Amino acid sequence: MALPVSYSLRNIQARPGRSVMTAGVIALVVVACSLFLGLISSLKRTLVSSGNPMNLVVMRKGSDNDGASQLSLEAFQAIRFFDGIARDAEDRPLASPELVVQPFFRTRAGGRENVLVRGVEPMAVMVHDQVRITQGRMFTPSAHEVIVGRGVLGRYAGAELGNDLAFGRGTWKVVGIFDAAGSSFESEVWVDVRELANDAKRPFPYSGIRLRAATAADLESLTRRIDDDPRFALEAQRETDYYTKQSQSANTLYILVIGIAVLAGIGAGFGASNTMYAAVQARTAEIGTLRALGFSRRAILSAFEIEAVALSAVGFIVGAVCALALSAVLRLLLGGIAFGAATFTTNVITLQLGGSDFIGALILALIIGLCGGLGPAWRAARLRPIEALHKA
Amino acid sequence: MKYLGFILANLGRNKLRTVLTGGAIALAVVLVCLLLTMPDGLDSLLNTIANNTRISVHNKAGVVYSMPYAFTRKVRQVDGVAAAVAMTWFGGAYEEAGRVTFPSFAVEVEHIGAVYPDYPIAAAQLADFQRYRDGAIVGRQLLRKYGWKIGDRVTLRSTVWPVSLDFRIVGEIASDRAPLFWMNREYLDQALTAQGGPGLGIAGVIWVRAGDPNRVNAIMRQIDDLSRNSDAETASETEKSYFANFFGSLQGFVTIILIITGLVALCIVFIAANTASMGVRERAGEIAILKAIGFGRRVIFSILLVEAIALSAAAGGAGVCAAVGLTKALGTFAGWSDTIGPLGNFIVTAPVIVEGIFLSLFVGMLAGVVPSYGAARKSVVESLHEVF
Repeated sequence: MALPVSYSLRNIQARPGRSVMTAGVIALVVVACSLFLGLISSLKRTLVSSGNPMNLVVMRKGSDNDGASQLSLEAFQAIRFFDGIARDAEDRPLASPELVVQPFFRTRAGGRENVLVRGVEPMAVMVHDQVRITQGRMFTPSAHEVIVGRGVLGRYAGAELGNDLAFGRGTWKVVGIFDAAGSSFESEVWVDVRELANDAKRPFPYSGIRLRAATAADLESLTRRIDDDPRFALEAQRETDYYTKQSQSANTLYILVIGIAVLAGIGAGFGASNTMYAAVQARTAEIGTLRALGFSRRAILSAFEIEAVALSAVGFIVGAVCALALSAVLRLLLGGIAFGAATFTTNVITLQLGGSDFIGALILALIIGLCGGLGPAWRAARLRPIEALHKA
Repeated sequence: MKYLGFILANLGRNKLRTVLTGGAIALAVVLVCLLLTMPDGLDSLLNTIANNTRISVHNKAGVVYSMPYAFTRKVRQVDGVAAAVAMTWFGGAYEEAGRVTFPSFAVEVEHIGAVYPDYPIAAAQLADFQRYRDGAIVGRQLLRKYGWKIGDRVTLRSTVWPVSLDFRIVGEIASDRAPLFWMNREYLDQALTAQGGPGLGIAGVIWVRAGDPNRVNAIMRQIDDLSRNSDAETASETEKSYFANFFGSLQGFVTIILIITGLVALCIVFIAANTASMGVRERAGEIAILKAIGFGRRVIFSILLVEAIALSAAAGGAGVCAAVGLTKALGTFAGWSDTIGPLGNFIVTAPVIVEGIFLSLFVGMLAGVVPSYGAARKSVVESLHEVF
């Protein structure tokens, strides 16, 4: 016969001080674990969400990112009329020629960071349909105007609506602010593609083309046609693949933070186990009595395991709530968190804890409870009833 | 000293608990040491790779905005400049290992040695670098990682230039701090011209070595004055500041890691305080007897406190050793995979070891003081009463 669950739960309440401490330690580990995971998944989400499954990135063969690629005007003129590219209401193909440059920007704090500046044509907002201008207006070509992403706003000197922003060889007037559904475009500055090419003195007008396929089947055929075209030595890949590859640089951080979380978890497990051993010791007589009454070893074992797991569950709930609060505080204090990602440009991410981060922390907390409780529960189950009663 | 046996016996009384408590503290110390290596590692990395006489000259607008190659010659004529070399990013991808990239640059072979006299490169290898047009000098880490030897031929495809070039490795930079691949600038220039392109008329960064460290600021000013009002105005800065800016965008991330280090440290104090108070409470009767037979409060307090500190100090020592071992292991495995690679740069330095040991002593004090004080203060009658 099993012991009622309420026996285990009431035992937790029987020694509130120690229970609170053990749960507190587990809660701290949960906070650390979920924040770490949240940080990295936010970075990954930011990058991965930048890709549109129907879009293709066209770059020079061998380039691994926008910034390193080059593309001629002739190549753009030819590719834009390929079959299978979606068209807008006025029957213009949804192909956006873009030039990417990473100049220095002065941060408010006085440092400097590489920011991705994307030279575009008005067509770009049709191809990148997450991008929406929320304040101000689109830039006018040849007027030295720019629009800036939400993440850039306020981070750099002059990056505010109506102010002058200095980068490259000149100063640019900020006339609009855009939102891009949390994707990495929000860490970019957009400007007229010809003006940017002049400023950066690039030998080629573009670094790549982003285009929208009309149907899923066209994705394949367009990719093949661009890859095989002998005139330009270009290659196409899905935009989602492109950004997934960019986000792989975050995998190192994943290993780092998971290592840290596991180490902290083992430490907390030692603490939990200590508390449970003490609980077993204090209740030797009680366990002896239960055994004498006919409760099996398995019943005792599971009662103590339930106690340990319940303790870690309490720790998880407290920790999760704290982590949510802390992430909100961090968002408020730090605003966006800057990451220097693979292409040496700065990505400003918003720390957002998601379900998967908490699931990771929950698994860690439960393992701490299960493993930490196993030794003590085993000892309790192995007590001989007569000796245990004798001790009392 | 005469109480030493007593203290050790007390620690050995509940071995399992002592081990668990010590283990928890040791793990926490490992964690804190590892986290402390991040800012420290960055700083020591900067100090070891950066040289106080080396100056980076690049376009004011950014490293991707280049300078005319001819500017290098002007820089060389500036008073106080011992040597200068133009470097251009090649962005080579090694396709045989799955398109991996590492820092690869086209450099002027006749000047590179004079700008980097602190890099351990054999003179004969530098001479070979000048002799063979397709020569390359490669950092030791890269040689080890891809199993290359001097004399091997490798092909890198540029991610920046439309070329794919064959190289003959003629020398190594015998340092683990320079995972670089240097090639002959003329080789790249000729390859680009052969394709009908305009050739390599630009320099990404010009590295300058000042003859006298005290004149670095004056030289930087002079160089920037030279380019004033030209098409490519330059910004000069010291090598350390160049690399510090390079890593600057990780600041926010490091801040968060440090905040969480604080949390983890708090975690240790919780565990240790909890366990220490358990040990003292259990021994209430014994402590009362000690007092009853005449031991003073102060002696009892000290014995209990020393016990807590001894445990945490031993655990802290073990933790520091483990942290050193772990980073050494990471350093060894760093070559195995690109994902672990960057983690190999973290090295537990002497200050971190000292900080780790201090932390463990502090935890011991904190965990020991409250319960020991309480136990030492309780009246004999009260304690004996509780027990019997």
